[in-house]
Amino acid sequence: MTAYIARRLLQTAGLLFLLSVVLFALVNLAPGGPLAGQGRSKHLAPEKAAILKRQFGLDRPGPVQYAIWLVGNDWMRVDPDGDGIADAYGTRKGILRGDFGFSFRTREPVLKEIGQRLPNTITLMAITMLVSLAIAIPIGAASALRQYSAFDIAVTTFSFAGQAIPQFFLGLLLILVFYAWLKNPVTGEALLPAGGMYTLGIGFSLWDRIKHLILPVAAGALGWIAWYSRFLRSSMLDVIHQDYLRTARAKGLPERWVLYRHALRNAVIPLVTLLALDLPYVISGAVFVEMLFAWPGMGRLFYQAAEQRDYPVLMGILIIGAGAIILSNLLADILYAYLDPRVRYE
Amino acid sequence: MNHTRSLLALSLGCVSALLLAGVLSCAPAGQTEPAEATATNAAPSPSGPTQEPRAEASPAKPTEALQEKSIVMIIPEDPPSFNAILEDTGYDALVMQMTMLGLTDVDPQGTIFPELAIELPTVENGGVKLDEEAGTMQVTWKLRRDVEWQDGKPVTAGDVLFTWNAITDPERGSWIQGIDYVDSVEKVDDYTFTISYTTIYPGYLTQLGGEQVVIWPAHYCDAEQGFAAWDCGRTPLSDGPFHLEEWQVGDHLSFVRNPNYYQAGKPAIDRVIVRIVPDASVRKTMMLNGDGDVDMWTTEPVARDLEGKPNVRVSQAPSPRWVLRLFFNLAAKGSLDAAANPHPILADVRVRQAMRMAIDVDTISKQIFYGYSEPIWTEFFRPPYVCEVPRPKYDPAAAAALLETAGWIDRDGDGIRECHGCLNAEEGYPMQMELITYAEYGEPLELSQQLIAEMLGAIGVKFDLTVVEGTVLWADTESGGIEQRGEFDVDLWDDGYSGTDPTDFIWELYSTEAAQPDGGWNISRWINEEFDGLIDEAYTLDETRRKEIFCQMAGILDEQVPSILLFSTINADAYSARLEGVQSTTFGVVTWNIADWKLK
Repeated sequence: MTAYIARRLLQTAGLLFLLSVVLFALVNLAPGGPLAGQGRSKHLAPEKAAILKRQFGLDRPGPVQYAIWLVGNDWMRVDPDGDGIADAYGTRKGILRGDFGFSFRTREPVLKEIGQRLPNTITLMAITMLVSLAIAIPIGAASALRQYSAFDIAVTTFSFAGQAIPQFFLGLLLILVFYAWLKNPVTGEALLPAGGMYTLGIGFSLWDRIKHLILPVAAGALGWIAWYSRFLRSSMLDVIHQDYLRTARAKGLPERWVLYRHALRNAVIPLVTLLALDLPYVISGAVFVEMLFAWPGMGRLFYQAAEQRDYPVLMGILIIGAGAIILSNLLADILYAYLDPRVRYE
Repeated sequence: MNHTRSLLALSLGCVSALLLAGVLSCAPAGQTEPAEATATNAAPSPSGPTQEPRAEASPAKPTEALQEKSIVMIIPEDPPSFNAILEDTGYDALVMQMTMLGLTDVDPQGTIFPELAIELPTVENGGVKLDEEAGTMQVTWKLRRDVEWQDGKPVTAGDVLFTWNAITDPERGSWIQGIDYVDSVEKVDDYTFTISYTTIYPGYLTQLGGEQVVIWPAHYCDAEQGFAAWDCGRTPLSDGPFHLEEWQVGDHLSFVRNPNYYQAGKPAIDRVIVRIVPDASVRKTMMLNGDGDVDMWTTEPVARDLEGKPNVRVSQAPSPRWVLRLFFNLAAKGSLDAAANPHPILADVRVRQAMRMAIDVDTISKQIFYGYSEPIWTEFFRPPYVCEVPRPKYDPAAAAALLETAGWIDRDGDGIRECHGCLNAEEGYPMQMELITYAEYGEPLELSQQLIAEMLGAIGVKFDLTVVEGTVLWADTESGGIEQRGEFDVDLWDDGYSGTDPTDFIWELYSTEAAQPDGGWNISRWINEEFDGLIDEAYTLDETRRKEIFCQMAGILDEQVPSILLFSTINADAYSARLEGVQSTTFGVVTWNIADWKLK
């Protein structure tokens, strides 16, 4: 197993390198450029454009830009002041040495930009995922056990609806109902906040944090609940018709024991791998939920960077996202082997 | 089956527990957690879940709380920094105007007033010395002595020099208007300095002021980090009406009143929270719910919805800045030389004039822009340079007749004219072109595009419609910029100049030099030597002469129609009715006078 993991990690490094080439090319070849995304005046003064190009390193050919992004330019002479003479060493270290560059928009290090938003996104998405599971597993299992009952039909209908409703529409609806229409009967204020992570100026309050989480989590979780419960239902249906359940019952095990120890545990295994594959969402965030509920997360950062062609931030997020996807795939494989002793990797 | 039932019960239990949690969250806090209600929840509850101002208004110590006056401004994205020169998003200017001072600023009427300067240097008061023969000038600025940085140190001429050197640093600096005309900046004493120009530069009054440029503290900002990237651009040491207290990126910035602001007794507001709320409809709902006090740059549809509501007002700038316009490409698509490769249709001035006559500007601006716009037909429509140019009349019949004269006639009866003896196209060439606009503005612009195409289609000029991202339309040649590469027939977007001096803007849009790829924005490739001469002449301090020159330019543009100006787009900010003194401006952002705002 160790050898297997080591081999997979090596492959990951190679894959990430190839991906970085492709992503860099795609990001840079997409029509439009960062200078046109600058500001309100729409047309940038040519003198200013020249300065920005030099400061952003856009005055060099694409392959050179990629090389600098990868290994930095502190080992080569550059021309920082634009006088045509390469008379100084560069300052970039390159992504291989942990320098993701700086944002064209804020001139802040990309890792700092990402670091400011990553915890917020992880909080929101992890809670959304946990809430989804807490709801989806029981209702999925229950609807499998009572296949074709009224409850099952209701759950099935709900999950189709839940997957069909676009997040931004659901989010707007929630804001309209819980922020604009419904009022707190005592204070007369809106029932739930429209967005943000907490109320300013009152210090930390768990209750306040929860209130700010309810709507974004609800908007984000509905689709997942539908998806996971649907998945668990079918996997549970597979399991409850297996012979070993009949054997367990024949041995005289109590029904509760049969269902929890034998049926549900086996039914959850495929869900675990599915969960592992969904883990990258916890890092990349949800654009619509974050936009609507003013949640300062990764989804918004990515959207803004894409809109304004902030190449370094885009590349940073894409590479971290790609790494997360590859690693979570590996995690899924390992978990699968761990949970199901029949699976062997050699 | 018993056990099936118990599992079902369990799952239902889980669901109902969560639902209960949800319901409890809706219940007033006091009912579920009486003990806590007095401690934590009582404080925020008067303000409701979201907001600060009133949250602040009743914390534990009621006496103190009642005194604090705070407001919430809502903007869609974080300012990139406090340095508006770098990105010019307007959000940077918003927070910069709250914290930093320049030498001068501009009021909504376009009048320049001193900020850090004691007075405006002019020829009359001896602040400006002209050398008519050499064509140079020297400006002497005197600084106020009563302005302090946040840490109590005075703002001096040393700071101005430091700022100038940082901006002009070739490696880490940036660019401001008129930067190339400056010969030197020299300190006379701690509160006096001079700027020598290599030419007569009429924009000198706002060069280190206005909505973009402020003075930075020499003892605090790190010159090594450079003007474009230094930390003090994000955690500024302020000398303006407010200090930055906290910046939670993506969520909010909070500001507290500067108790030592140089204008005694101001500002009247103790705390300003700037919240980042990306979605426009959520911002609107927050304004209506009383959770926002200022919504920056309210769009046309939102302004219409907010106006007339009891708790919200909309302030419109006295004169607009952005004018929606049609840019013609006078060179053949893909060519950059209008003389060698004239555009088969648009190179003929009569065609451009006819198209101007065929567009019913009033209908578009009233129907699509909800009346938040006014017809504009000359670049020189706003103070201080207003020229009398007769408004072109809307007359589709005359337009059609003019096209006939120009050799564009529909003989095959398909509703599209073809060339029959026209100037620059082959016989039979159809009068069909592409009309491009950009996506970010949103629905009003796309509807305008459709309506314009319809109106021109009615006189036999057929348009295919395209909508692209602004970053593609305006990118440089290398990045595939559609306009810089000349890959268009007619473009539709809004443009206008900042500040009070149109000279640089006019140069960028209409000079021959600016027709070079990546050399400027004369994307029409319109070449006019007389006009070039007038631009050069406009570099004078003689205001009467300048007005004459600009109005001569207006005449040429009106006749030659390198582009059609249609109408202004909205320049407004919504604010809550409890706030007094908010005034939108074309010459800056809404916080230009935040020190004068009051809460009722």
